[in-house]
Amino acid sequence: MLNKRKTKDLVLQIVTYGAAFLSIITLSLIVFYVASNGLKLLNIDLIRNNYLAVNHIADIDESIPFCNCEPTKEFKNDVYYSDKWGIALIDDRDLLGKNIVEVYYVHPESPFNEMINKGVGTDVLKLGLNASIIRIAYEDQATSLSRFGAERMILELDLSNSIRELEFTTPGGGIRGSIITTLYLIGLTLLFALPIGIGAALYLNEYARKNKFTSTVRSLIETLTGVPSIIYGLMGLAIFVPFIVNITDATGGNIISGAMTLAVILMPVVIRTTEESLKVVPDDYRFASLALGASKTQTTFKVVLPNAVPGILTATLLAIGRIIGESAALVFAIGTVVKDQIKLTGQSTSLAVHIWSMMSDEPANIELSTTIALIILLIVLILNLSIKFITKNFMKRYGVKA
Amino acid sequence: MQNVIKKPIQRNKATDLLVHQILKGLAILAASFIFVIAGVILIKGLTPFITNNGGIGSVNAWKFLTGNTWLIGDTFASNLYSVGFIIIQTLYVVSLSLLISFPVGVLTALFIAKIAPKKIAEFLRTVIEILASIPSIIYGLFGAGFILKLVYDFSAILGYQSKGGNSVLSTVIILALMTIPTITTISEVAIRSVDKSLIEGSLALGATETQTHFKVVLSAAKSGIFTSAILGVGRALGEATAVSLVAGSRRSGLSFDILDTTSTLTTTMLEGMKDSAGLDYDIRFSVGIVLMAVILIVNFTLNYIKKKVGQVDVK
Repeated sequence: MLNKRKTKDLVLQIVTYGAAFLSIITLSLIVFYVASNGLKLLNIDLIRNNYLAVNHIADIDESIPFCNCEPTKEFKNDVYYSDKWGIALIDDRDLLGKNIVEVYYVHPESPFNEMINKGVGTDVLKLGLNASIIRIAYEDQATSLSRFGAERMILELDLSNSIRELEFTTPGGGIRGSIITTLYLIGLTLLFALPIGIGAALYLNEYARKNKFTSTVRSLIETLTGVPSIIYGLMGLAIFVPFIVNITDATGGNIISGAMTLAVILMPVVIRTTEESLKVVPDDYRFASLALGASKTQTTFKVVLPNAVPGILTATLLAIGRIIGESAALVFAIGTVVKDQIKLTGQSTSLAVHIWSMMSDEPANIELSTTIALIILLIVLILNLSIKFITKNFMKRYGVKA
Repeated sequence: MQNVIKKPIQRNKATDLLVHQILKGLAILAASFIFVIAGVILIKGLTPFITNNGGIGSVNAWKFLTGNTWLIGDTFASNLYSVGFIIIQTLYVVSLSLLISFPVGVLTALFIAKIAPKKIAEFLRTVIEILASIPSIIYGLFGAGFILKLVYDFSAILGYQSKGGNSVLSTVIILALMTIPTITTISEVAIRSVDKSLIEGSLALGATETQTHFKVVLSAAKSGIFTSAILGVGRALGEATAVSLVAGSRRSGLSFDILDTTSTLTTTMLEGMKDSAGLDYDIRFSVGIVLMAVILIVNFTLNYIKKKVGQVDVK
């Protein structure tokens, strides 16, 4: 009898330990998966570069003299430099594994700094770093192609005296546009959500009487938290998008409508967190201020609110975390077109939607997606730690009186 | 003299009143959004059933709710949209995921609250917090890059050709992983607040610690644990982007095979978001109504069960 009980206990204990262990496994698997796939592409170029590679065809301005200059820095062995043109090239592979010739260095006096654009767009083109050269056609000899490598291209460049045209591609696969969009979204959303959220929290905590009206308002706001974000997206699509299209030059989903949608999603979070921090502010502060002759408004805004700032900061950080991670609502309210030129009234993607947009394409770009995921994970982690830190200090300040 | 003092006080009173009204207005604005959402979804979502939809013909509401095919796209230009099988698929997937996440979540909560030493409990709590704050799109990415391969290999061993791993099983795993943190956090609070005297009483009667945990602590925290399950189901039902990357968008035919592709209400709404007008666009709002209705009905049912279960056990 006792033995049977012991075995049963042991089984239950093992099951419990196993269950608890599962979350650790999940977290390590996710972190390991994201880090192992994403680290490869993580570098500063990724953040600076455009997502879409652009093809340019350019002509050298004949009036600019040859460079004939020494490079201003030392090169590794596999970099090939042309004194005459002031340009260094290197062999590389693109994301698809094809051989490409990349621009490694351009001398400040090189004619490649000011080329004539033969296509549409600006008149003057600059050959940027990491651009990949597709072909160089000369007046006086056969064309150099990228598939013969950087060394041969430099040799042929040195032999030639006149370039007829140069075809090159700007580096793509960067996430500059999505980062800017995400920053815009964070700024605008907070601009919409914080005043309304803090105002509502102030009313509910400082002014509202305990009556039916207040409890109704409270429960309505609470109901908002249960609505899935995709439904918010539909609302944004149906109300905010047409509204912005009417008052600006936007034609479809845009960043402003996306930010308004996010603001509605975040409202309950901001209200709840702010209210909690207002509750922690001791009543003595309010009485003291009122007794000194300050009006209710002065007490609220000059005494209560400043003392609740850490709580509002927590609300802001929580909101930023949600904005960075939100995807379903933004798919509807902004759209899924990855852009490089960011306009407040135009479509573009936040980092999370960028992942979704690449993953739902065929074939899915898992490498870049995991890299973005790694960035998001890092930001979320930092935000979480800061929230913990702030809350801890805040609670310490007022003791556990609340 | 009296006048001089009176004036600022009156002015202060006026500002007080103004500020009071402005803040009240903001609170009412925040509260009114729920009506805005409900109104918009209802109006937009009912349009396909009452209008002619630009010559295509109105959608039959009964067929929409009970049918077995979802035809989307310009090539079809039909009014044959039905979500009947998708509703059942959604409920099927969510209940299977709860079957995994509920026991795991509750046991983890029990471990953190009652069994683990303080340091390990603190560590686990942090792990759960991080898991809860990971955005759903990353779960989706993890599912698409990692779980899909596992499921694909698993189905290959069974001699089954799955659609690259896109299946009920992958969806269930991802949803379970996403709901475990929710369930754990809420259950843990419930378990920790169980009255100490109950536990001591059980131990004094000769029950072992494990028996006490499973028979006394868990049943005393029943109501809170049930709430955690309700919240978990809510999160699973509303999850969209992560699921859309692993579900495999099923267009017709109900299937309970766990290696077959599936569709949920949310993935159906996300699919092929291109047009900004026409039936293809409006019908998403109708699916939105169905989603809200499903969430509300499931919530009410679970809350009803919670009340019943709670009443039986009050001693």
